[in-house]
Amino acid sequence: MASPSSPGLTNALLGVLALAAYALASVFYTAYLRHPRLKAGRLATGLAVLGAALNFSFLYARSLALKNVPYADLLGSMALFGFFLAGMNLVLEVRHHDRSLGPFLMPVSLLFLLLAFVLPAGGEKRPNLKGAIFAFHVTLNMLSYAAFAVAAALSGLYLVLGKKLKHRSKNVLAGPTARLPSLGYLERAARTSLGVGVVTLAAGLSMGFAWGYHVWRVDHPFWLLDAKIWGAGLTLLFYFVVLVRAHRGAAPVTTARLCIAGFVLVLLSYTAVNLFFSRIHSFT
Amino acid sequence: MQMDLVFVGWNHRVASLDLREKLSFTPERAREAMEGLFREKILTEGAVVSTCNRAEIYGLTDLDDSFEALASYFSRFHDVDGSVLRESALSGRGDVTVRHLFRVASGLDSMVLGEAQILGQIRDAHRRATEAGTARTVTHRLFQAALECGKKVRTRTALGTRPTSVPGIALSLVGRIFEEVADCRVLLLGAGETVELTARLLADDGVTRMSFCNRTQEKAAALAAEFGGTVVPWEERIPAFAAADVVLTATGATDPVIPGPEAKRALSKARRRGPLLVLDMAVPRDVDPAVEDVADVYRYDLDAFGELARANAAERQAEVPLAEAIVEESVEKFAAWLASLSMTEVVKQLRFKLEAIRRDELARSEPRLARLDPADREMVERLTEALLNKILHNPTVGLKHGDASQRLELAAAVRTLFKLDGEGRE
Repeated sequence: MASPSSPGLTNALLGVLALAAYALASVFYTAYLRHPRLKAGRLATGLAVLGAALNFSFLYARSLALKNVPYADLLGSMALFGFFLAGMNLVLEVRHHDRSLGPFLMPVSLLFLLLAFVLPAGGEKRPNLKGAIFAFHVTLNMLSYAAFAVAAALSGLYLVLGKKLKHRSKNVLAGPTARLPSLGYLERAARTSLGVGVVTLAAGLSMGFAWGYHVWRVDHPFWLLDAKIWGAGLTLLFYFVVLVRAHRGAAPVTTARLCIAGFVLVLLSYTAVNLFFSRIHSFT
Repeated sequence: MQMDLVFVGWNHRVASLDLREKLSFTPERAREAMEGLFREKILTEGAVVSTCNRAEIYGLTDLDDSFEALASYFSRFHDVDGSVLRESALSGRGDVTVRHLFRVASGLDSMVLGEAQILGQIRDAHRRATEAGTARTVTHRLFQAALECGKKVRTRTALGTRPTSVPGIALSLVGRIFEEVADCRVLLLGAGETVELTARLLADDGVTRMSFCNRTQEKAAALAAEFGGTVVPWEERIPAFAAADVVLTATGATDPVIPGPEAKRALSKARRRGPLLVLDMAVPRDVDPAVEDVADVYRYDLDAFGELARANAAERQAEVPLAEAIVEESVEKFAAWLASLSMTEVVKQLRFKLEAIRRDELARSEPRLARLDPADREMVERLTEALLNKILHNPTVGLKHGDASQRLELAAAVRTLFKLDGEGRE
């Protein structure tokens, strides 16, 4: 199950336990949305906290074993993404006393942590993937991707609820739909996540430029032409335009659709570009 | 003497509106009625629940045929034909009474299943009976238990969570769309009862930015003055429509007062963010359905309200078995408490407790008693038994004195003083 590059059995065990906690949290969050019984809700939250703690421990143990940041490869970065997403779900839950995002965010955390284990791992080790600037670069970028994932999930819910309201669905005031937050909340929270994502991505990319200039300028004089850098830059530009439009009063439905499209761009930039197009910037 | 909790009542299921009007009680009339019932020794304590849909009297009685006495009394009290009252009355004794009140408090007996106001009305009835001094130990406990049961049904089931009235659904829709209902800008077109009622509900929810618009501006101005809103001249209704978050219309116009093309133009011109909820409560409709072509415009008319009301009513109906189970559990709990106050039970438990004390003390003195010869030991036994019987005599006789309420109050006092918590139960 654990990738060959993942050191240690304890570490793999922590990852598997985190997976199990995320899976169970997803089940209980969904059960709570269908039938809001307090016990199921508390169990879901408890399991999400446990999953996030195990996920963090997994990353920490990995870091100790690698004597480096734990997210210098695809496995680590995906596990970090899963951790940030679970954390954001918990922050939103505590802030708004609302568990309705859990059924949508926890499975994404689960998926990314699972992908971290099943995707092929490279063998080549890159010596320069360390240092404070590199750590900030990856952390901030992962945080921004998690924020964009949250914005996409909130936007998806906005579109679903909006469609039901638009078509005067009989269950807008009953069942799980009635337990979703209001359109107003979904729109505002998506915009906030978008803002957080844009700021952290801008900061993360700045750090990346500083690190790239320091590490690559001699060996890779054309490092700025790398597909991954262009992909990330375009993602930032896209989200920046969406954010400005949203603040200028663009129709929330359009913003919601763009948030979902933007997250597809993030996934492409993160996976396909990383794995297949980037020459100097791919995860190993 | 057979004391029992009884009720007699006339509700929307059994009595016409005409009859319910005649039988309704103001707080003063309720007090007079209870005083009369005490004077004629029909009840010893009790309370009156009087709402638009019911007039019911709950109380404790010593009479075997309390229904006849109550029906006859209310026939005289309200000056209504006794046979009509008897034929249309609901009545019961013991658990039936408790169950009925608990079902009423839970909204299971309401005209609109699960409606919330009844809990407040039960609370008011209890408060008034307490102030008038007609509620005593059993009535207090009965009404407190009914309120607890009603709250439990409300929190553990979805019986009351789905609105079924048009204004209730309208408000719920506002809550589904906007994060803060109080921050909404609301435009109300028309000046009739529907507009007034919904404006009142919106004001209760903290909405302060209300604009009123009507062909006869004076009527809009009167509503604006009442709810602290502003008046929009009739000619400016289209731009006001495009600037609002919620538009509620209920005019008597025969053609749409918000035509589609004009509204769409105004919406595209308006620098607005966020959705617009249109609540069209007029027949024929006030707002051209074409406005919903615009993204973020949500339009509901009376047909849509009807669909939602039916769906919500069905959802409420599905919660009834769970609510009934909660009622039954609460009835059992109350019945157990009331049974613990029965004279036989209290005397039995008191005797058991004192007998246990007697035996403990004898056992404690056993080393010294062992030195006595059998005749002396027998005498000590007899002596302690006689003491116990003498101590029990007065409470046993005392618990039989007074009216039903007094007897139960004494029983409750004995239970408290002697800490009888299920002593000697089998």
